[in-house]
Amino acid sequence: MTATSALSSRPEHAARQHWIGVLSRTRRADLLTHEPALRDAEYQLIRAPEIGMTLVRGRMGGSGAPFNVGEMSVTRCVVRLADGRTGYSYLAGRDKAHAELAALADAHLQGAQQAHWMRELIEPLAQAQAASRSRQQAETAATKVDFFTLVRGEN
Amino acid sequence: MSTTSVSATAASAHLLQPAFADPVLDAQRSFRAALKALAGPGIAQSLLSAQIPPHLEGLASASHALCLALLDIDTPLWLAPKFDTQAIRANLTFHCGCPIVSDRQNARFALLDDSQLHDLSGFDLGNDRYPDQSCTLLIQLPSLQGGRQVAFQGPGIETKNHVSLPLQEAFWEERESRNDFPRGIDVFFLAGSELMGLPRSTQVAFKPVLSKGGA
Repeated sequence: MTATSALSSRPEHAARQHWIGVLSRTRRADLLTHEPALRDAEYQLIRAPEIGMTLVRGRMGGSGAPFNVGEMSVTRCVVRLADGRTGYSYLAGRDKAHAELAALADAHLQGAQQAHWMRELIEPLAQAQAASRSRQQAETAATKVDFFTLVRGEN
Repeated sequence: MSTTSVSATAASAHLLQPAFADPVLDAQRSFRAALKALAGPGIAQSLLSAQIPPHLEGLASASHALCLALLDIDTPLWLAPKFDTQAIRANLTFHCGCPIVSDRQNARFALLDDSQLHDLSGFDLGNDRYPDQSCTLLIQLPSLQGGRQVAFQGPGIETKNHVSLPLQEAFWEERESRNDFPRGIDVFFLAGSELMGLPRSTQVAFKPVLSKGGA
């Protein structure tokens, strides 16, 4: 999920990466409030929600040599609306209903109603996620300790 | 699937359709049928209608089921021109993740129709150390009957299995010329929801009157 920046050269890709990123960070309850609207369309499951594993890799300090952190469970789903728009989702965890709703949201967001869905769904979620992230960072920052070395007395 | 392939497949996304209703069990049932077909050469195996994937234009249901069961990211696939359609490419790439190659030598599986059977050159026959690395042919036919009768003999067959696959003489000659045990090619014949196996270990005997030394 961090490798997306290399592909964001095209604006429509960047926009889709943004909303897929927001959807991937949602909790199930966030999408459940929109469930009736999301399901209010004819659609078929191209790939029914399925649970699998993916390897998470990291770099020490963000720039060191890559190492394998471990495996995590992911759930993915692909839906297609009656008009041919195809929505994809990849979510951490094992919640199939959540993955289906996220895929539906991706499909709806590619259509004529994009502005509506951005306003109703993505932007409030993005703001809430940004707020909770900055709250988390503030809490963490409050515990930060700056160590400094006193001049050592030599006598 | 990585982000790269999502954007690569976006153009063909409208061609995608669902595959097996139960991806795990249906693939296992199809694999089991393929196993039985190779273990008993010449005996047709049928796939149950419940385990057959939705119709994909150009593919018989047995061909489609076997592709979904056998192909994955490690099995490059070669497509005969008849099957090289956008819909087949898009769906097999999406559901199996298999690379589709244009060079026969690199293929682990090949999907052929009956117009290709006079020339089986280029397919990997494996090597003496790893005969299992050969290319397996999936041959889609209009029917598993209606051709000249031949007798299969060999491992998995008690005496003889008589089959009358609608195949030209050239196919048997091609197969014979590439059979250098343990190297060789294994074949599945597919028609409708039925399949029949022809492993490299099977000897094919023609009726004595018409014998051309095929055995």
